Amino acid sequence: MRALGGWVTPQMLVAFAVFGSLPFWIREVGLHPYLGIEILVWCVCALGFNLLLGYTGLPSFGHGAYFGIGAYAFGLVQLNLFPNLWVCLLAATTAGAAFGGLVGVFIAHRRGIYFALMTIAFGQLFFFIASKWTSVTRGEDGLLDIKRLPADFGLARFSLTRNDALYWFCLASFVVVTLLLWRVIHSPFGKVLRAVKQNEERTAFLGYNVKLYKWTSFTLSCAITAYAGGLLAMLQGGAFVQTMSLQWSGIVVLMAIVGGGFVSFWGPVVGVVVYFVARDLLGAFTETWQLWFGLLFMASVMFKPEGIAGLFQDLVRWLRAQRGAFLRARAVGAG
Amino acid sequence: MDLLLHLLPHLVNGLALGLLFALVALGFMLIIGVMEVLNLAHGSLFALGAYVAVALMTPDGGLPFEFMRAYCALPIVPRYVAALVLAPLIVAAVGMILELCLRRTYGRDPLYGLLLTFGAALVIEELIRLVWGPGERQLPVPRGISGGFLLGDLIYSTYRFYASAFAIGMIGVLWLFLEKTPYGALIKAGAHDSEMVRALGVNLPRLRLLVFAFGTALAAVAGVTMAPIWGIRPHVGVDAVVPAFVVIVLGGVGSFWGAVIAGLLVGMVVGLTGAYATDWSLVSMYLLLIGVVTFRARGLLGKKSVLEV
Repeated sequence: MRALGGWVTPQMLVAFAVFGSLPFWIREVGLHPYLGIEILVWCVCALGFNLLLGYTGLPSFGHGAYFGIGAYAFGLVQLNLFPNLWVCLLAATTAGAAFGGLVGVFIAHRRGIYFALMTIAFGQLFFFIASKWTSVTRGEDGLLDIKRLPADFGLARFSLTRNDALYWFCLASFVVVTLLLWRVIHSPFGKVLRAVKQNEERTAFLGYNVKLYKWTSFTLSCAITAYAGGLLAMLQGGAFVQTMSLQWSGIVVLMAIVGGGFVSFWGPVVGVVVYFVARDLLGAFTETWQLWFGLLFMASVMFKPEGIAGLFQDLVRWLRAQRGAFLRARAVGAG
Repeated sequence: MDLLLHLLPHLVNGLALGLLFALVALGFMLIIGVMEVLNLAHGSLFALGAYVAVALMTPDGGLPFEFMRAYCALPIVPRYVAALVLAPLIVAAVGMILELCLRRTYGRDPLYGLLLTFGAALVIEELIRLVWGPGERQLPVPRGISGGFLLGDLIYSTYRFYASAFAIGMIGVLWLFLEKTPYGALIKAGAHDSEMVRALGVNLPRLRLLVFAFGTALAAVAGVTMAPIWGIRPHVGVDAVVPAFVVIVLGGVGSFWGAVIAGLLVGMVVGLTGAYATDWSLVSMYLLLIGVVTFRARGLLGKKSVLEV
């Protein structure tokens, strides 16, 4: 049976082409390759987050915590246990899944405001622990000296120390996560998640164990975000407490919604790109650009919750309608 | 016995905190009553109140220098009173703007309202950071109510007594307003059944606007009063909205005295943890929230609330 939604869509190919060619034209547009890596890392984070918000309808306002947990796990395993890239990334993902699973037990049966406030509470709790447990996390200074470990595939070994090399690795991660999430969303599991978003009670009446689905969605989302955290640790060369703050958690939400995470798989990607390009282009002129982004978010929720992707979908629909009208008019004219 | 005496100042601190938490929670609850959504920006408005008060007492710039000099030369008491009165009014104006923005989300998925108030909270915090910087600020307080005094063998903070007395006064005034005035009756009716109130001819949008303004003004008053106790940082907003939520969940939505009693309980918890592990006192609130929502989400009085969507 053919997989629902397919394995690869045209949009995916476009995205891969754009990101695949990025190192070759990024400097021409006045931006830096480092920005490309940042965008990819945050895309993975935002895509993981949107599984929860856009597809399951659960607002997590403390997701930055898992981003940070992934980074710290990566660093701690690298510095203390086993400096191998795959082990460290696995550790990051597992840590995210573990903490996500733990928190999920407390909140999986909630939704709406209770869910949101609990995620804030847990996020702040983890933020606090990270800043106070200085013996492990080095507190406000952050866990420094995290090195970019070489990617050893057995047959070949690639050093990731240079930004270009790290970019390709992050791109590969992005491709894998995209394909994985696309399959998850178009699987029976994903369909139930979307049902939960539409009407949780009804889904429960249909016999699904809604709590279990929500818990799984939350844990998976945290695991993916934590994996992105591991990549972030390599990018920044350290794990910092600030990533776990409410501010950054909020920015993930903003990016996902402004881009159109509610209606499109690619929404978070668009949102991330907009945020970082705005930061680099506008940030050079004004310090208030983050405020404008926040106001853009509010305007988006008020007037167009479908976000930028939603606007794009409207445009496509309008063009198709125009084309349909044109073809019909021509048929009538000929007949 | 010795332990109790040692704890007494912390209990008093906890009492002061609790009364102020109750004040914030009451404003919060008024808003929940007539609106459909929880105002996550309540905490940021609390913080904004404190910052505006600082700006009113020690203007940093923008105003003509002569005026500023004359103003700063005034004794501290009139400036403090001016700040206490004007800051809530200014914050109420901001609150009204927020309510106007929220109007677009009525009738839709409550998730949108939640996202909007969350966005507003971030925007307000960012605004505060831009205007006043990320550092900590101090609110100058008249000497008459600052410092400490000796009672028995222990030193108590004068300001916390003043804050407690002030909070008790405000709660009393609020109770009188809600119970004894026709406007209070209107607000209570709107909280009970807003559709019916509208059917009876009351201008519901205007009522909501005014209740929002009133609720946020209460938050601002609490913010100004709490400022010397908690310090003024942009992040203080989140630390204020969480106890308000805990108080409401514990006391039950819609119960005035439930909120007051729950506020005192929460304040005690925070105050007492402050006695033993100062770092953990703020975190204790988050732990309390997690505990309360996990075990007793229907509050001490046990009725299904409007928050359970």
